[in-house]
Order: sequence, then C-alpha cells, then structure tokens
Amino acid sequence: MEAYDEGHSASSSLVVDLASADDPRAMSRMLREQRVHTIGDLFHLLTRRDDVEAALRKPAVYTSRPGAVQLGNIRPLIPLSVDPPKHVKYRRILDPLFAPKHMAALEGEVVELVNQVMDGFTGKGSCDFHQDFAVPLPCTVFLRLMGLPLADLDQFLEMKDGIIRPPGTTMEEQEPTRRRTADSIYAYFEKTLAERRRAPTEDLLAQIMRSSVDGVQLTDEEILDICFLFIIAGLDTVTDSLDCIFGYLSQEPAHRRQVAADESVIPSAIEELLRWESPVPAVPRVLAEDVEVGGCPMKAGEHVMLLIGAANTDDAGHPGVDTVDLLRNPNPHLAFGGGIHRCLGSHLARIELRVAVREWHKRIPEYELVPGTVLEYTEGLRSLHHLPLTFAPTR
Amino acid sequence: MRIKLDDDRCQGHGRCYVLAPDLFDADDYGHCVLLVDEVPAGREDAARTGVENCPEQALTLEG
Repeated sequence: MEAYDEGHSASSSLVVDLASADDPRAMSRMLREQRVHTIGDLFHLLTRRDDVEAALRKPAVYTSRPGAVQLGNIRPLIPLSVDPPKHVKYRRILDPLFAPKHMAALEGEVVELVNQVMDGFTGKGSCDFHQDFAVPLPCTVFLRLMGLPLADLDQFLEMKDGIIRPPGTTMEEQEPTRRRTADSIYAYFEKTLAERRRAPTEDLLAQIMRSSVDGVQLTDEEILDICFLFIIAGLDTVTDSLDCIFGYLSQEPAHRRQVAADESVIPSAIEELLRWESPVPAVPRVLAEDVEVGGCPMKAGEHVMLLIGAANTDDAGHPGVDTVDLLRNPNPHLAFGGGIHRCLGSHLARIELRVAVREWHKRIPEYELVPGTVLEYTEGLRSLHHLPLTFAPTR
Repeated sequence: MRIKLDDDRCQGHGRCYVLAPDLFDADDYGHCVLLVDEVPAGREDAARTGVENCPEQALTLEG
C-alpha cells in the first residue's frame, strides 16, 4: 500500500487517454501502481479493483448526483443522478421493464433488425462496421422499443452525439452544443408525450407513463428525465461495445474462428471482451463527505473517477486477467458498473451484443480488417472512428 | 453444500441465473432468487460458477 504521493500524480489527460489508448491495459497497469491519482485540487482517480468495488458499494459517500457528469441536462437524470432513498423507488419502476425475462422477449425482433442492417452491405463484401452497423443498430432497437418512428433515427443520432461527442476540445467550447442538444431532447419528448396522450400506444414509453412512485404518477418532467438518460446511456455504450468486440475479433483470427465455429461460446466471449475492452472505462462520482484511500485525503465535493477498465484487469486476487480467455470462468467483471447504479440496460445490451455477434458470424464467419488500417479509438467512451472490414460478398 | 444470498448486495447483474438456471432464478426486478438451499449432488460446480461470477459478492457457499 503506497502512501499518497503528489509527485506521481497523473496528468489531466489520463482518463480521456484510457478510452482512446491503443492499449488501455498497459495504461491501466501503469495507473494501478498507485491506488489514487490526484489531478489538480479536485479530481481523483481510483485505479484498483478493491477500491473501485468499495466505492461503487458506498453510493451515499461516492454519489452519482448532478455535477458528477456534465451532459447539458437541466434537472437530475433519473435514476442515475438520484441519491438513496429516492433512487430505489425509480429503479423499482424501471428494473422490471429491463429485467432479463422481459428483454428476452425482444430477441426475435433484434434478430430481424440485425439482419436488416447487415442486408445493407453483405453483397458488397465490405463495410465500415462502425458507421454501417454499430451506430444504427442500438438506436434502431431503442426506437422500436419505445414505439418511436424509425424515420427519427438520424435525429436521435444527432441528439446522442450532441451530448456525448460535441465539437470542441474544452468544456467551454462544447457547452453551447450540449445546451442546444439538451433543449432539443426535452422538446422531442415533450411533443411525444403530448402525442401519446392523444393516441395511446403500448410500448416501453407507455409503461413508463403509467408508472408511479409512492402512489403518485410520474410527472412529465420525471418522464423526460428518464428519457434523457436513455438517450445518453443506452445508445452510444452499445455502439462502443460493438466496436470494441468486432475491433478485437477482426484482429485476433484464432478468437474469431472460435466464436464462428461454436455459437455456445458467444455469451462468455461477450463477457470476456466487455471485461477486456471495458467500453465504458470509467464512471464519475462526487464525494458527499471527506474520505481517505491509501493515505490520500479526498474532500466532500471533490470528483472521483472510478476506473472500471483498470479494475477489470487488476490481477490482485484475480490471476490471469491480463490475457483474453473467451471461456473465462469465473468472470465477475465490472463492465456494467456495480452497486445501486449498475447499468439498467445491461440485459438489453447483452441481447443486442449476443444477437449481433451470432447473426454476423452466421452470415460472415470470415472477415478481416482492411489491410493497412490503424484503428483509432474515441475519447471518453471507447468506440472506433472507423472499422473497415472486408469479407467475401454474400447474400 | 448450501448457497447463501445477501439480498442487500444483489444488484441484478443476472450472471448467476444465466449461468446456472436450475439453482438461481430472477424475481420481477431481475434480482437473484435461490431455487435451492442445499446444492443437489453433482451440481456443485454449477453452484460455484453462479456464486463466483457475481460481481457484487452477494452469493456465498457454505459447507
């Protein structure tokens, strides 16, 4: 256990680099040499599995309240930015809607959507996997789930990118786009709620509109705050995961063949690649009280990034985690976070990923990265700018 | 061999009941429900798999 040593503090670009790094595992290894890195006066990184787990399980201390993330929203995101005890009341509404049994009923529809997306390029023998598959699929599934018109796809992509990937490199430069986009998200769903009251439908949005907390029906504002979170938490993260998984498989032919040869490998392969790639490399928290980790004092109000990716490859107590084993067991990774804010959409994400990997390899078992391609990962959340693949043209 | 579940720790990751559906199930919220107290003979490895894959360490084995 090292003492806190400001002399070894990380630079402010480290978290961003962790996502965009060609080899985030190497960077994570370096970061884990120190339990806590402090950046400036207000910002800390927790790097080790035990510390990340402990923080995830103390949501009243390591809070996820507003200010933990800057996403243009004018009210707290529900349920992510809500503290206990109110938090569990929202999760009690939403968890059943996203529970595995409920999500399993969607599998047939997801199979259909995956194949429709693939129909767009199978005959060509090449695609930009990111642009042609990983971007449209999660958004299309979401529109279907919410009973929204597929024609709104481009508008949704703009809304998600305007919040998560606005142009500019500083918060100040990005703020105007975030604000404008946030306004458009609220306006879109306000209009949708009004339409639904005139002409009710039966879908996820309808179920949310019917829900109540302590016997009081959700207000329009609460519904908007849930929908806002769906857009920023549920779309890009699945794109990131698809990019990470297919980016990996396109460069590791032995593992690609293992997946293509036996679809029973797919569920555990997905867990392993989520662990290895950690598409969401870190989750932000704000301290509600003063704490100390490894001799490092951290004060109430300061920000702490919990480095999920570094925790997932921490071999202390988990030997062998520095290699990929598609059949790894046990694999209790934290790729979907942990504690009370565990990813609400994880079971939907798993279905999308499983169906995508299975249907793709049925139709295109042999594929490779276009020769000469250097993969570049995005900052923040780990997606690829482009993933150009070639394969034999097929029907 | 017995399985113990700490309800307060379970967050509904759903690993246990996907990996060993004869021993673990989900409630309406996706949280773990134990289907057995005593692990049936021959299912010890499955129980261990369900328990050890829980990211919250909500499950433990006794005996």
